[in-house]
Amino acid sequence: MDAIVAENLTKRFGELVAVDHVSFKVKQGEIFGFLGPNGAGKTTTISMLITLRKPDEGEAWVAGLSVAKKPAEIRRRIGVVFQDPSVDRELTGWENLWIHGVIYGVPKNSLRRRIRSLMEFVDLWEKKDTPVKHYSGGMVRRLEIARALIHEPEILFLDEPTLGLDPQTRAKIWDYIEDIRRREGTTIFLTTHYMDEAERLCDRVAIIDHGRIVALDTPENLIRRLGGDVVYLHSSSDRLEELASMLSETGLASDYKIIDGKLMLSVRDASKAMPEIFEAARKLGVKISEISYKRPSLGDVFLHYTGRSLRDSEGSWKETARIVVRRRR
Amino acid sequence: MSEAVDAFNIMVYRQLKRFVRAKSRLFGSIVNPLIWMVFFGLGWSSLFKGSMAKALFGGYSYLDFLAPGVVMMTVFMGGFISGVTVLWDKEFGFLKELLVAPASRTAGMAGRAFGDALVATIQGALILAAIIPLARDINPGGIPVTLAAALLTGFAFTSLGITIALKISSMEGFHIIVNFIMMPLLFLSGAFFPIDPLPEWMKVLAYLNPLTYSVDLARISMLGSGSMNPLIDTVVLAASSLILIGSAALLFREATID
Repeated sequence: MDAIVAENLTKRFGELVAVDHVSFKVKQGEIFGFLGPNGAGKTTTISMLITLRKPDEGEAWVAGLSVAKKPAEIRRRIGVVFQDPSVDRELTGWENLWIHGVIYGVPKNSLRRRIRSLMEFVDLWEKKDTPVKHYSGGMVRRLEIARALIHEPEILFLDEPTLGLDPQTRAKIWDYIEDIRRREGTTIFLTTHYMDEAERLCDRVAIIDHGRIVALDTPENLIRRLGGDVVYLHSSSDRLEELASMLSETGLASDYKIIDGKLMLSVRDASKAMPEIFEAARKLGVKISEISYKRPSLGDVFLHYTGRSLRDSEGSWKETARIVVRRRR
Repeated sequence: MSEAVDAFNIMVYRQLKRFVRAKSRLFGSIVNPLIWMVFFGLGWSSLFKGSMAKALFGGYSYLDFLAPGVVMMTVFMGGFISGVTVLWDKEFGFLKELLVAPASRTAGMAGRAFGDALVATIQGALILAAIIPLARDINPGGIPVTLAAALLTGFAFTSLGITIALKISSMEGFHIIVNFIMMPLLFLSGAFFPIDPLPEWMKVLAYLNPLTYSVDLARISMLGSGSMNPLIDTVVLAASSLILIGSAALLFREATID
């Protein structure tokens, strides 16, 4: 059975179509990612799936239940971590989880056990009696993840789970998310605008832009279609062109470009290609002054599937932001 | 059903916990009315002297007249402002946690309002204890009725605060609410001066103000007589509470996230 099914899901805010006839399926036990720039419609999609907004068109089923007809039953079976913190900062971590458990109708005895086990899981048990206002950003995030799991949801929704966190904390959160699936078998739906996050965590990724899904596949396939990594090589040698054509003839580089003494090579796997590049350069007597490589970023993937760079699409999210601001008035 | 009761109770728990945590807020909520009682009350009572003053204030000294008003002012401001703090819940996200929960939103909101009403009543009781030495004619037997009226008042105005906070969407609105709603309601309640000698238009507004009935009920229970029938006071207060919590719950039920 599919955990989530969306069919032609559409949401409009005035003239802006925030989510435009989006269809996808999330399998049970899968970690599924919605990847896209700010304002692409990720959060709006989540808010329809978690029954906080009604779709203007289309239909969705979460845990086999229709979002239009069974919102209350869906809410019982899902856990949600919002993009912005939604904890009570005056209360302690334990109290926040207690309130959540009671509201979700978890029996008091098992609730106590569940709170302890989840607070230990996210390494916050020692901080259980500290008011949340004294928590760091990463701790609040962990607390919210624990809270979303209190009532043993079948599906966990995470909206930008590592936004604004430092790299170590992000890696820690990723570990937790993987552990959750292992421990509880929870299906996880997450949104992100970080390629590395999607690549590390997700079984499958949907790339969303302007409210539409432009690609849906495993991260490996999405990146493979880009042709792998880009190697940047600086040299003052005049035999750069020769080096490049040699590398592309051997099939190591699928494409190359030279701009101002800088050679850009598209290779499948930079870590394996670089020793061979050194070897070839040594043979030709090309002295390399600097070399680096880049994994494709969301920017590259996005460019590939939309034909536009992220920068070009910024206008659209500013427009969205303006509309949101206007709606708040 | 039991789930709705749980949602109600847990929100009462939350509001009480928040109250206990925030000591500075507790301090502020008591100091402000005391300042009114001491400086405003003692200030005017040195002017309002003799039999003429007693005739103006229903047969009481000005300090005695003011005491029930200050108690209800405490409850009113405490309840109203905590209701408006739904704005903070909106801004800092806790509201979303409630919105996505399967529990009854009406029960949750009613629980929140009742929790804040309890807190406001506790504040009112502390003020009452503090001003008894100042106002000599207070009848100790009337204290339970006063506190019951305080609870109803707290509930009504917390609900009003919640309703307003759900309607407006910016934190900046807070000061506007305080200046354009809270202060007029307070001044047109008979807490500081009797209503009957007022110009006609002010009188009409005062009688439309539920707080007028709270103050009158407190005056009757604390001093022995007010300007209206206590039964009418009670009915008006209870009805306002129901209407206001109803409107808060209705708005909350339709609320979405932004």
